Amino acid sequence: MWPMTDRAEDPSPFDPAGVVWTPVSTRLTIVRLVSVVLVLVVPLAGGVIAAAVSGLAALWAVPGAVLAFGLWLGVLIPRQVRALGYAERDDDLLIRRGLLMRNLVVVPYGRLQFVDVHAGPMDRLAGVARVQLHTASASSDAAIPGLPHAEASRLRDRLAARGEARLAGL
Amino acid sequence: MNPDLTWLRVHPITPAIKGWKVIAVLLVIVVQQFGVNISSYREVSQNVGAGPIIGVVALALLLGFGYAAIAWRMTRYAIDDDTVYLQSGVLFRRQRSARLDRVQGIDLVQPLLARLTGLAELKFEVAGGADSSVSLAFLREPVAEQLRSTLLARAAGVEPVEGEVAVAAPERELLSVQAGTLIGSLLRSGFVLGVGGVLVVLVVVGVVLREVGLAASLLLGFFPTIAFVWRRFSSEFAFRVAQSPDGIRLRHGLLESRAQTVPPGRVQAVRLTQSLLWRRRDWWRVEMNIAGYVQAENQASETVLLPVGSREEALLALWLVLPDLGADDPRGVLDEALSGSGRERGFVTSPARARWLDPIAWRRNGYVLTERALIVRSGRLVRRVDLVPHERTQSLGVRQGPIQRRLRLATVALHSTQGPVRPVVAHLGSTAAGALLGAQAARARRARAMAGPEQWMRQTPAPAVTMPPPPPPAGWGGA
Repeated sequence: MWPMTDRAEDPSPFDPAGVVWTPVSTRLTIVRLVSVVLVLVVPLAGGVIAAAVSGLAALWAVPGAVLAFGLWLGVLIPRQVRALGYAERDDDLLIRRGLLMRNLVVVPYGRLQFVDVHAGPMDRLAGVARVQLHTASASSDAAIPGLPHAEASRLRDRLAARGEARLAGL
Repeated sequence: MNPDLTWLRVHPITPAIKGWKVIAVLLVIVVQQFGVNISSYREVSQNVGAGPIIGVVALALLLGFGYAAIAWRMTRYAIDDDTVYLQSGVLFRRQRSARLDRVQGIDLVQPLLARLTGLAELKFEVAGGADSSVSLAFLREPVAEQLRSTLLARAAGVEPVEGEVAVAAPERELLSVQAGTLIGSLLRSGFVLGVGGVLVVLVVVGVVLREVGLAASLLLGFFPTIAFVWRRFSSEFAFRVAQSPDGIRLRHGLLESRAQTVPPGRVQAVRLTQSLLWRRRDWWRVEMNIAGYVQAENQASETVLLPVGSREEALLALWLVLPDLGADDPRGVLDEALSGSGRERGFVTSPARARWLDPIAWRRNGYVLTERALIVRSGRLVRRVDLVPHERTQSLGVRQGPIQRRLRLATVALHSTQGPVRPVVAHLGSTAAGALLGAQAARARRARAMAGPEQWMRQTPAPAVTMPPPPPPAGWGGA
């Protein structure tokens, strides 16, 4: 439908030259899969019970759809987690995510206002945390989920130090 | 906290002005309960009798004014050389202190009642999101003006001299919007025309079908639109823009008047917009992002730099906040940005394959980089030009959907502080998007390193407190 050209591939804007990406922990995959299971188990069970009790064959479509959605997420989530990555450059931090909708954010250290480290109960069990970077802009949306605790602390302290060294006004 | 602070109270009439808010709240509750139907009120008053109603109203008044009076007693403020302090709150005490050099803007706001009594609210805005201002309400107008001059002088880093009061900086009025132009601009918005057309249809329907009730109830549905246009008219009435060493001064408002002072270097981004019906007159609207001025969409009156003006006026307003664009021929670049399309004058636009995604505006969508700012051009029916000084870029993002990926396109966004300007360069070629991201990151880094100090009078060499140079001629050559 859209014209494909046979010219050489343009360099992707998501792979700037000389950037080495650090992947996030694969334990994030487990955390996310467990969350999906926990969320989907209720409608799945409800659907199965409703279909079994009522005896309507058509009603099995509900748990079937839930199961299919769950399986699709089960395939998608590992790939999504593998697509997550970040890179520390001299003056800025790059964060990349997304498979279908690809996204890359460049946050200069001098623009950082504060850094949040956040870990939910399941994150804590898996030993990962989410580092959220805040600039004066609400649309920055720069977060790195699934960092091992030690790496999260290291990154937080490093960002604080670098932010101070390159401090700028608004 | 400094023990030598002299704490001051706001003006004692304040409770009399603030207490009326209770009545407004009461009215809203009543209208929500009973609707706007008059007969239901008659019914209620017949059933209950006049006594209890008067009692409830009197009690509400007593509570409202009583609370406002206590709140007044508990509110006090103080300033020293580098901070403004405010203590307030009756049950929950709040102490707020704001550093003067962090000021983003100082507003003098006069609601109608305050205007009649010669009072004003002084709002000291710092960059902390919504509700981050230090609000001193209400002060006598001369006191508020004096305080504003003092705060601005100290925020600018002018050393206070013992026993000498800060004088208001001189100012020069550069732009004013006539009431006729403002009304014309509002009438020419597609919004109003559409609503007007529907209204005419409604009236015709009402007359032909003799269904006045139906037409009237449909009319009520237009209330939000009418309220929006009215708010825009009343807040942008008598708009004046002036220039002073303290920054730009904006004055506007029909019932509630507002005098804003935005110190130099506080404007994060600027947007010029021209809707389709404004094109014949070549009218433009200029809005800006200032950190701390966070308002709901469509209600923003504090972030308007010029509600409507000719191209010359709009460019003059732009020059006030971004005097140096860093281009050899700023006027030429800006004209190209305002009404041009294609790749003239260094503009980088979407490649032809972007027409699949944006068949209307793909020739116009694009950007140009100057030494000092990024200029983003977009929209063909509603023309938009966004300008972001390099040192004000917060962060950058690039995104790509599945279709964009197949077409080797990507969209680059510049993240600015919250406000009406959200610069986005849509559907650039992948290579161009990557290049823009790299170049912009590098430029922003260099510009930040060279940015001036927050205290704008502390620049080296120290500038005298004089007027800035007069506005440049139409060519904008010497900027």
